[in-house]
Amino acid sequence: MKQPFEILEHPSDLGIEAHGNSMQEVFRNAAHGFMSVIAGASKIKSCENRSIVLQALDRENLMVRWLTEILYLYDAEKFLTADVKFETLTDTLLKANLHGEPYDASRHELKLDVKAITYHQLKVEGHDGDWIARVFVDI
Amino acid sequence: MPITQLDEYRYLIPKSFRDGMNVEGLIYASKELIGAIERDETLKQVANVATLPGLVGRSLAMPDAHQGYGFAIGGVAAADLEKGVVSAGGVGFDINCGVRLLTSNYSLEEVKPIIDSLLNQMFGDIPCGTGKSGILKISFEQLDKVLLDGAHWAVENGYGTLDDLEHIEENGRMVNADPNELSKRAKQRGRDQLGTLGSGNHFVEIQYITEVFDEEAAKVFGLRLNQIVVMIHSGSRGLGHQVCTDYLEVMQEAMPKYNIKVVDRQLACVPIQSKEGQSYLKAMAAAANFAFANRQMMSHWTRKVFERVIGSGSLRLMYDVAHNIAKEEEHRINGRNVKVLVHRKGATRAFPKHHRDVPRDYFEIGQPVLIPGSMGTCSYVLVGTERAMSETFGSTCHGAGRAMSRHAAKKNISAEQLIHQLKERGIHIRGASKSGLTEEKPEAYKDVSAVVDVVHHAGIARKVAKMVPIGVMKG
Repeated sequence: MKQPFEILEHPSDLGIEAHGNSMQEVFRNAAHGFMSVIAGASKIKSCENRSIVLQALDRENLMVRWLTEILYLYDAEKFLTADVKFETLTDTLLKANLHGEPYDASRHELKLDVKAITYHQLKVEGHDGDWIARVFVDI
Repeated sequence: MPITQLDEYRYLIPKSFRDGMNVEGLIYASKELIGAIERDETLKQVANVATLPGLVGRSLAMPDAHQGYGFAIGGVAAADLEKGVVSAGGVGFDINCGVRLLTSNYSLEEVKPIIDSLLNQMFGDIPCGTGKSGILKISFEQLDKVLLDGAHWAVENGYGTLDDLEHIEENGRMVNADPNELSKRAKQRGRDQLGTLGSGNHFVEIQYITEVFDEEAAKVFGLRLNQIVVMIHSGSRGLGHQVCTDYLEVMQEAMPKYNIKVVDRQLACVPIQSKEGQSYLKAMAAAANFAFANRQMMSHWTRKVFERVIGSGSLRLMYDVAHNIAKEEEHRINGRNVKVLVHRKGATRAFPKHHRDVPRDYFEIGQPVLIPGSMGTCSYVLVGTERAMSETFGSTCHGAGRAMSRHAAKKNISAEQLIHQLKERGIHIRGASKSGLTEEKPEAYKDVSAVVDVVHHAGIARKVAKMVPIGVMKG
């Protein structure tokens, strides 16, 4: 059984490799992996919702824009994402509701400042219920 | 085709290294450092950069080069201003991440007994660490002024003196900045973060000068043995990161219009003279100004801390340099003067004496180059040279470069052990995060002295002085 996500480490990089049996699941697990890099993801409650719509050039571009959106909500609005529900997910369109809560210094531990999501060795592939996504972030 | 060694410190990547290279690649390294460079994707990335349209000279990598995103960290590439391209990835996410050095009138012996008081006060007065907001709350209108005027805005608002501005690259203000070219998101991400150090490898260090290599240059820069100096390393925070993120998307979408294809998406680029290219350069300049203002504010608070704890004396801004930036400059190539856009991605401008952009008081010596080491090791002041001007578009190295992953760095040592080890060596530390401290332990980085020796011997900068920290504040 593959883990929903694992963290990849190189001297100057930090990456997330997510697995899933569908495109939705691999996008969700990538989001969970990403939040585990920023904050202790398990302690985030789902008390607020954010509705987002993203368009992209292709599937890989959509993955970068997806995690960039989650990063923006954290860095600019201090919103921590706990889970996600997709309404639509194609290679170029994503509509989703993010569940989470505002950052609370008394309960949440912030782990790393992520600068951005990169295209370095980016991969989002899947077939027959076996999906994998690999994304490196700049820290 | 493998790389070829040209001399003791230069390695050539021939055009046959990969398809599509428009220019050759050139790596500055010693026999020891080239080994590390060959172990990751640095060579491939330097060769990939060489495929960009309109490059002039060579695609360069400094001895601290290591694998980055699209461009290698430690990379320098110049594009013809009329026919070349600009790449947001060629500057990187932390636009105008840079370093400044403040010199003091104090000696090591005077400051050593009160180092803990200084660090405690600094830690209280300068916001640092992951997710930390700034003390100052500014409106979007005020933020636009910061983006336009950089360190000038800071000085006008009481953070420092007019003399400081003469000792900052670009005098602390890139004049082509246009706040209207930034997204609302970039401003939203950065508004809260003005006047914050950040985390990762950013730091404020209280250091002392342990060695002077060039007495004449050191005298002109106001440096002497045993003198206490303060080094500040920080950048444009979330605002700069978002500008790069935004324009990577803009450039990717615009590339088909200009019939540009890149071998790595992170190298997305557009013609310099295109609408998108000009927009990026104006937004990048605004983000660079944010970083200049940011370092200016932290310098002001550092000065206040010294005044409060020691009671007298002043800290003078010796110089402030950018490590991640793209600049329009004139360089002499094959016997003629050419206007180019120089991308410095983890590299430092190193202009020689008599260059018009060197501050008046350093005009007869050259521009100071500031090289921070890793936490608890040493840092250097170098000076720019003619050879840098003729070989590297007036550029040199920028630091040590990571040698170990953060995860590996955390193994086998606790924050308490690390703090104790450094204290035994006379280095006191305050860190916002315990895991952040161990991730930045000295062994996680390459040896900065080996890097500096290469640029010194290759002649693309000259050693002036070496500093060692006695107090470190990490984000």
